Formats: sequence, C-alpha cells, structure tokens
Amino acid sequence: MLTGKYLNKFYLKNWWLFLIGVVALVAVDYFQLLIPDYLGKIVDMFDGSAVDKAALREVIVGVIVVAVVMCAGRITWRLSIFNASQKMEAGLRHLMFQKSERLSQKYYHENKVGTVMAWFTTDLETIEEFLGWGSIMLVDALFLTAFVLYKMFRLDWALTLVMLVPLILIVVWGMLVEKFMGLKWEERQKEFDKLYDFSQESFTGIRVIKAFVKETQQLHAFAKVAKKNKDTNIAFVRTAVIFDAVIEVIITAIMALLLGLGGYFVYKYATGQPAHVFGHAVDLTAGQLITFVGYFDVMVWPMMALGQLVSMRSRSKASLKRVTAFLDSEEDVKSPENAVVLQDVKGVVEFKDFSFKYPSSDVEVLKNVTLTIDSGECIGVVGKIGSGKTTLVNTLLRLYNVEKGKVFIDGVDIMDCDIDSVRNAIGYVPQDNFLFSDKVKNNIAFSDRDVDMDRVYEAARFADVHGNIEEFKDGYDTVSGERGVTLSGGQKQRISIARAYIKDAPIMILDDSVSAVDVKTEETILKNIAEKRKGKTTIVIASRVSTVSHMDKILVLSNGEVEAFDAPEKLAESSPTYKKMVFLQKLENEVEGGERK
Amino acid sequence: MSEQDKLEKLKGDVHIPTGVMLKRIGGYLRPELWRFVLASLFIVVNVALDIVLPLIVSWITNDLKADVINLDYVIGLAVSYVAIGVFNQAFLYWESMLLQKAGQNIIYTLRNEVFEHIEKLSQSQLDEMPVGSLVTRVASYTASMSDLFTNVIVNVIRNVLTVVGVYGIMLYISWQLSLVMLAFIVVVFVSSYVFGKIVRKVFKKERQYISDLNTFLNENLSGMKLIQIFNRQQQKDLEFICKNEDLRKARYKVAIAFGLYRPFITLLYILSIAVTFWLGVEFGLDAAMIVAFYLYLSKFFNPIQNLADQLNNLQKAFTASERLFNLLDVEPDICDREGAVDIDRFDGKIEFRNVWFAYKGEEWILKDVSFVIEPKQTCAFVGATGAGKTTILGLIVRNYDIQKGQILIDDRDITTITVHSLRKAIGQMLQDVFLFGGTVKSNVTLNDDSFTQEEIEEACKYVGADTFINKLEHGLDEQVIERGENFSQGQRQLLSFARTVLHKPQILILDEATANIDTETEVLIQQSLEKIRNIGTMLVVAHRLSTIQHSDQIIVLQHGEIIERGTHQQLLKNKGYYYKLYQLQFESQQNG
Repeated sequence: MLTGKYLNKFYLKNWWLFLIGVVALVAVDYFQLLIPDYLGKIVDMFDGSAVDKAALREVIVGVIVVAVVMCAGRITWRLSIFNASQKMEAGLRHLMFQKSERLSQKYYHENKVGTVMAWFTTDLETIEEFLGWGSIMLVDALFLTAFVLYKMFRLDWALTLVMLVPLILIVVWGMLVEKFMGLKWEERQKEFDKLYDFSQESFTGIRVIKAFVKETQQLHAFAKVAKKNKDTNIAFVRTAVIFDAVIEVIITAIMALLLGLGGYFVYKYATGQPAHVFGHAVDLTAGQLITFVGYFDVMVWPMMALGQLVSMRSRSKASLKRVTAFLDSEEDVKSPENAVVLQDVKGVVEFKDFSFKYPSSDVEVLKNVTLTIDSGECIGVVGKIGSGKTTLVNTLLRLYNVEKGKVFIDGVDIMDCDIDSVRNAIGYVPQDNFLFSDKVKNNIAFSDRDVDMDRVYEAARFADVHGNIEEFKDGYDTVSGERGVTLSGGQKQRISIARAYIKDAPIMILDDSVSAVDVKTEETILKNIAEKRKGKTTIVIASRVSTVSHMDKILVLSNGEVEAFDAPEKLAESSPTYKKMVFLQKLENEVEGGERK
Repeated sequence: MSEQDKLEKLKGDVHIPTGVMLKRIGGYLRPELWRFVLASLFIVVNVALDIVLPLIVSWITNDLKADVINLDYVIGLAVSYVAIGVFNQAFLYWESMLLQKAGQNIIYTLRNEVFEHIEKLSQSQLDEMPVGSLVTRVASYTASMSDLFTNVIVNVIRNVLTVVGVYGIMLYISWQLSLVMLAFIVVVFVSSYVFGKIVRKVFKKERQYISDLNTFLNENLSGMKLIQIFNRQQQKDLEFICKNEDLRKARYKVAIAFGLYRPFITLLYILSIAVTFWLGVEFGLDAAMIVAFYLYLSKFFNPIQNLADQLNNLQKAFTASERLFNLLDVEPDICDREGAVDIDRFDGKIEFRNVWFAYKGEEWILKDVSFVIEPKQTCAFVGATGAGKTTILGLIVRNYDIQKGQILIDDRDITTITVHSLRKAIGQMLQDVFLFGGTVKSNVTLNDDSFTQEEIEEACKYVGADTFINKLEHGLDEQVIERGENFSQGQRQLLSFARTVLHKPQILILDEATANIDTETEVLIQQSLEKIRNIGTMLVVAHRLSTIQHSDQIIVLQHGEIIERGTHQQLLKNKGYYYKLYQLQFESQQNG
C-alpha cells in the first residue's frame, strides 16, 4: 500500500471501488485454483474401469462455473481498481495544479518548469501504476500464495515443505533482478535521451551548422552518440536475457524435481511402501501429483510478482515524496488576514527605504529606495542591465514580499493589501512578451473574456497592432503559438501592450516593452501613452534614453540605488549615469552629424 | 515533383506500395542476413524443445498410471526435462543476442543515414517541418523500423511455428478433439485482431489528450506569472479541469477495452479446458493424453493472441518505415549543380542582377533587386521589418534559391559554385545567436579540432570576447548549457563574432540584433565590428543608424524594392525615406 496525507483523502473517497476490486480478485484467485483440482480428479477417474459419467459431468459443470466466475471477476477488478487509481491520479493532478497557481515567483525562480512538469507527468504516472497494478499484484500475490500453500499443505505438507525452498529462491532472485535491471534501464534511457537531445539541438541549430559547413563534423559527433546507444542497448538486452534464462532454468529445475521426486512417491505409494519424509508417510496418487504440478504452475507468477512489487513500490514512494514535497511547499506570497481591498485606486506609489534581495543570493538588488510617484504621472525608468528596474515593478505587483522598508499604493502598505486588488489595479506588460496559445482576441481580452470587441480593437489600436492583426487571414481569430501563426517579436510585444491597456488600470507598467518594435511604431505607442493614459499613472522601463525622454519624470537606477528621480531636463546635472547614457547616444549622433554638411 | 508532393513527403503521407517498401526494407537487412537466418534456425530448435516439455509430463503421468511403474524411466524423464530446459534457454540466449545485434546495427545505420539526409535538406525544406518530428524520425521511427525484423517477423515465425507444432501434436493425440479446437482458434484470432484495432484507436486518443494536457501545463506553468498578475487563476483552473477529465476518461476507455478483452480470452481458454475434459473422455482418450492436451492448450492461446498483436505491430512498423522513406526520398532543394566548382578564395565582389524571390508562390519578397558591392567594401541594408533585408543575406549563402535573376560572386553565378566552398568563404553572424550545449571553445570551433588553441584565443581577442571569457572560472572550457542560457545577449553576440573570425571568411554577413542590448554593451559590439569590417566584404542588416554610417554603400529597401542607395551623406541630402528614418531617431534623441 502507498499512503500519505494527500493520498489518504482519495482512498476515503474511493474505498468502495477498491473493496469491490479486492473481493473480485480473491474470488478469481479461489476459483482459478479449482482447475488443477479438476484435472487431478479427471486423471484419477481413469482407474482401469469405465469413467463415471456423473462424476465427469460434475467436473465439467465445475470448470464452466470457474470460467464464468473468472471472466466476470476479472472484468470487475479491472474496471473497479483502474477506475479508482485513475481517479486518484486525476485528483492529485488537480491538487497540484491548484497549488501551482498559488506558488509565488520565488518558487518558480528556484524550480524550473521542466522539473515541475516531471512531477505532473512521470511521477503521477508512477504513482498511478502502483495504485492500480501495484494493488492488484499485491492482493493477487498474497491471496494466490495463501490459497495455493493451503491447498498444497492439505495435499501433502511434507512435499510442500520441500518445494518451499526453491520457491523462495525465485522471490529473492526476482527482487535482485528487478533492482539491478532498474538501474540498467535508467542507463539505457539516459543514452537514448542523449541521442534525442543531440538531434534536437542539431536540428534547432542547423542554420549555424550549415553556415559554417560543419555537416560532416556534426554527423561524426552524432555517429558517436548513436554507437554508444547501440552498445548500451545490446548490453542491456544481454543482461535481461541472462536474468530471464536463469529464472526459467530455476523454474524448469523445480518442475523436474517435482516430477522426479513426486514420481518416486507415487511409485512408492502404488507399490504399497509409501516413502517417509520428515517422519511422515507420503500418500500420493498420479492424479494428485498432476494437481501439485498445476499448483506449482500457478505459484510461479506471484513469486516473480513479489520482486516487481518491491521495486515498483520503492519507485512510487519516491515519486509520492516529490509530489508531496511540491504540495507542501511554502506559499510565501499571500494576502494577510483582514487584508485591505484597494478600491478606486488613484495611482500614488510610494517606496520608503525599500531594499530587496532575491532569495537565492546575498546581493541586494535594490538598496534604500525612497521615492513617490504621484497620481497621473508618467514615469520613465532607466539604468544598466541588472540595476534593479524589473525588480522594482515586480515588488509593486506583489510577486515578492516586501521585507525591508515599505511600499505603499495610495498610502496603504501593500503588504496589508489584498493581493488580487493590488494586481487588479495594475496593467502590466512583461519584458518577455509571453502570449498564450490562443486566439489573438482572447490574448488581448485576457483579463476579461467577456469584454466588448470594440474595446479589443481600441486596445489594439493603442498598441499600434490593429493593422497587423487585420492583415492576418483569420484576423482577431488568428491563433498564436505552436499550433497557429508564429508572430514576430514586435507583434507579440504590441499584443501584450494591448492586453495590459485593455484593463484601463489606474497604474500601467511597461517593462522594456518597445524593444522589438521599429522607431516609427515606438513613436506611435509613446504618443498614445501620453494621450490615452493622461491622468493615470504609467511607468515605462526602457533600455534607451530616447524612449523615456518625453516622460514627466525619469528614475535613474544605478546598482540598485536611486541615482536621480527628476524631470528629464534637470537630470543631466543630477545623474552621472543618465549623463553617460545621453553622452553615448550623443556621441553617435555627433559622428553622424559631423558627416552631414 | 510538385510543391504539394514535396510537402506531403516531408509530412510522410505519401503511400509507398507494400512491394516496394519490403524491397527497400530488405536492403537494410542484407548485411545482417546471416544473423537473421541463424537466429531463425535457433527459433525452430526453441519451439521444438518447448513443445516436447508437456509431452514429458504426459509420459510421466502415463507411466505412473500404468500397473507397473518404471521408476528409472520416470527419473530419466525428469532429468531430461531439466536438460531440455537448459538447452532451450541457451538457444534462446544466442537467438536473442543475434537478433539484438542485427537490429541495433540496422538502427545505427539508419540513424546515421537519416541524420545525414536531414542535414542536406535546405533551410526552406527544414522550415516546413517542426524540429520535434525530425527528432522523432531519427530517434524513434528508426527503432520502429528495425523492430520489424527483430521483433515482428521473428515473433511471427515463432508463433506460427508454435501454433503449427502444438496443433500438430494435438492432432496426433486426438484429431477429433483438435478439429473441435479449431473453433476456438478462429474466435481468439478474430477477437484479438478486432481488439487490436480498437485499442489502437483508444490509445491514440489517450496520447492526444496527454499531449494536450502537457502542452497546457507547460504553457501555464511558464506563464504563471502572468496568470497571477492578471488574476486569472480561477478561469485557468476551469480549463484545467476539462482537460484533466478528458484525459481521465480516455485512460478509462483503455482500461475498459483491456478489461473486456483479456477476461474474454480467459473465458475461452477455460471453456476449451471444459471441452477437452468432456470430449476427451467421449473420444476415448486416456489420462495422460488429457493431461498433455490440457498442457498444450495453455501453450496455444498465447501465440494466437500474439499473432493478432503482431499484425498490428506490423502496421506500426510499416507506418514508421513509410515516414522514414518519405523523408529520405525528399531531394534536397539546394544541391550542387552539375559541374559546380570548388573555389578556394574569393575576392569578394558581390552582385545581384534583377533578383526576384518568394518563399511561397507569388508572394514576392524581393522584386527586381540589383546592386553591386566591390571587394572589401561594406554595404548596409536598412528598411522596415519585412522589407527583405534579412532575405538578401540568406540568398547569398544559398539558404534559398531565387526564382528569377542572378546572384554573382566575383562575377560568377553562385549556382555554379559548390555550396560547400561558397558557405565556407562567407562568415555568417545571425540575428539570434545559437549556442550549442558544450563549452565556450566547442561553440567557437563548432567541434572542429583542426584549430589550435592559439588561433582560438586570437580570434576571441580580436573581437574583444577575451575580456569576459578570461573572467569565467574555466575560461574557454566553461560549460555552455543548452541554448547558451548562461550567457548574456551581448556575450553571445561576441562569441558568434569570434566563431566567424576564426573561420577566416572573405565575405561577412551580419544580421544585427540590437534588441535588449544596453548602450554600453553595444559600444563593445560596435568596436568589435569596426575591426571585423577589415577582414573582407561585409553586408550588414542594421537596425540602428549608428552602425552603418561608415558603410561604403547603404541600400534602403521598402516592400522588397530598393528605393534609395548611396552613402550616408548622399542619402541625407536626398531627404528621402532614409532621411526621415534618421530624423526621427535623431530628434527624439535631441529631446532627450
């Protein structure tokens, strides 16, 4: 059995399915063992005289009953137990998804999406396998073994004892093999993954390979990986075949032992001098020996299953541990109790002695930031890469907790605010312009599916992307992403600007969001911001001075500190960084200007 | 071959007649034929030994039922039972290893062939195919095809032999009973075949839902930040529930399919035992014969089920082979024309003569473009996105072939030059720098061991990449993770410059990437470019006007046509499109 606080809940919900399954399994096990009995009876019916028809009919009816019960029983346990295990898997997956929605960016900073995906896929599958097949094998092996042993003992306990030793040998061997082969299998899988990754990388980077005419070198490198794959596979199969052969030989040997020794006992019994084992006379007929052989045949499977079961359980336990750890991980960003729900936000943003460092490092990305952005101001933020621009807005979005200093929106400490209300107050355009694989229209109306199409158009016009979308064959119904149209970086950026604008939020943040659009489009968007966002707070992060030169105020960050926060025309004196940025661009202009006659 | 045909070939949807396919598949088998034949012989031995085993049990029963039991005979039989078992396993081992080696050799050959072929395809052909499906062909379909020999055919042989052998012995024991069993054979075979078809359908559905859900999860975990910022958790949860339930239901359908089929076979098997008991006595069989018949029945049902399974596997292997052959049949678009010559060195004169080009049909990207660039000159291309700047660069290295006109290097049509020597002479610096997993060094040399350490270091120094490389813990041997994500945009750019310089081209093409690079890094890149410019003829697609003011020639493109050309000063004097572009940027900077 596999248990855990998250699983137990589902056991409670699905216990009846398991119960039905177990009952059916036990019934099948019981009836299955009647067949060797009947065979023995048939053999013993031939005692020289004519076969007793009535007894024969009884046996045949018995076999038919077994057939029907086994068929019905097997259908029942398959449908009930797999139903339960699959329900539990789906349930766990849902729990995990809900958890993933509550985890903060800190978590996603520390854990790659690929890793989390593996918990959702491979680990859940492993757990489901044990809940389904594992439960079945466990119940089946236990009951079948118990029934067979009971029947064997009743037939002849001495012979049974003799058989027990080799049977245990099978179990031990099975466990060893499972463990060893598991490791080997992983090795083999690793080699295959290497081949897969190598091909993937080669084809993705084929432009480079072609550009530098390195096709031959790449093929040689590939051949090496493929050769390793071949050798690993052959080695794997060799081990597997040897292991299988050994177990088959053991089984054959036990069978032969049973036949030889049993034959001897039957001979002794038939000649009236029963053999003595452990001081007990063995009375065995030929029919009973055949029954015994039949029992042994049935026993082989559960013995081998035990080995598989042990490794299956340890695998699924490890998976469950990972899943549990995920479900237990701390949700560090959440609304406080009695949170203030922000309403009618005016858009006054205030930082007070605010410092920040990312969980994974000791370096303070922002140091003692103190500033106030008034309602309706349009602010530009510049600074070198790594100067803390993005961190500043991430804090405002409550993606991280404020630990040192304070941050206020409309005078309310955002740590006291309801998170949803903070985020509802902000229209945000991310740096990486991430779009969902969905219609363009739905991507723009992401914040509210039911919004009027006119508003969607308006937002698209604001971002200067309406014309482009209209030119698509399917217009606003064009699907972006893998299964749809590949949009250019600039188009994606502008769609994500529209997505933020449509919220008409009191605060709008653009994080380096016009980097992939051409100069003309950038102009249009900046002009739209000045017109349409009048009276509402807007924060624009930019990597170029020119982007923010029209703004009310510019915040210059340098190594996490506020170097200056002032109107553009005053900055030349107060900010060396800004001065340098302007100088560098002027330098370019001067060279150009110098050549102009 | 028409465009449509080619596309279908790439997708692998062109049907290949079975005869042709078998012949082609057979070609791969030839070098491994001896292994295959030897293994088949072992299979015969295997099956024969396997069939004898129940017979021994039956003989023992027979003797034990006799009036006078011959004990030595019984013991002798038991010993031979073990001996046969051991022999059987030994043969099985040889046979498995022979087949495995043959199969793995075939996979190895196939993989190399497919990989090499994919490398030969032109860029436009590769654009048509997602990388994922190419990888599947190299990694998985090759294995499926080799499965045909090592698994499908071999198992068919084994199962047919077993069924025939077992049935033969059953006929020998009791022909009447065996005739009755024919009914069971037919029912098992037909139901297994039908089941196989159904199961493939439900499996396909299941796989589709799995991939749907995984795509959904991947996307939403990656975009979780946005979901949270836009407060869309609830809506996404609803979407998730739908997909999760779809998958669960599809999985349960698979469980139902197996849950009905497997017990049904059990039912048939046990009923056949009842029939044996009943008719065995009716037809006057003795105890030993009934035991033997019973034991053979258990050896009988599995091979029939397997045979039906193999029919399905056969179809799978055929589909995989068909897709592979389809891919291998795609003729590379861009290949050396007959009589194409190798050229060691170019002077570097480049000429476009009335070039027309479209990626697809009549959607012209370039319309009647003509220009000449003299050796060692620098030419810059400017214009809005989609004007055709990048396309021009791709045409010079023959990533694509033009429809009309001529492209000449040193007054020689580029189609008369081997692709190999053409590309070798042209150093390409592409817009998104692609770094491979490996080391900094392997990324600069691209796994070519013919460069010395000094050459590599010199190249890095030349472009100014040495500053940051020296700061790395392992220098040139620093690990580069997949896609080079541990390096910044600017660093990647410099590495790509080093890559180019190291390979000593006579012509350089640069597709400038300026997005997301801060002013300071750009200064570094500009300095580097100043130097690289001296190496040879240079063609630049520039996004920032500052990059190009030193160019000997600037070509302004709009909608695939050249609308202006000249030097920076001339173009400014013209007060045309270029002037406007320049003014816009200049003025916004002035205001800053």
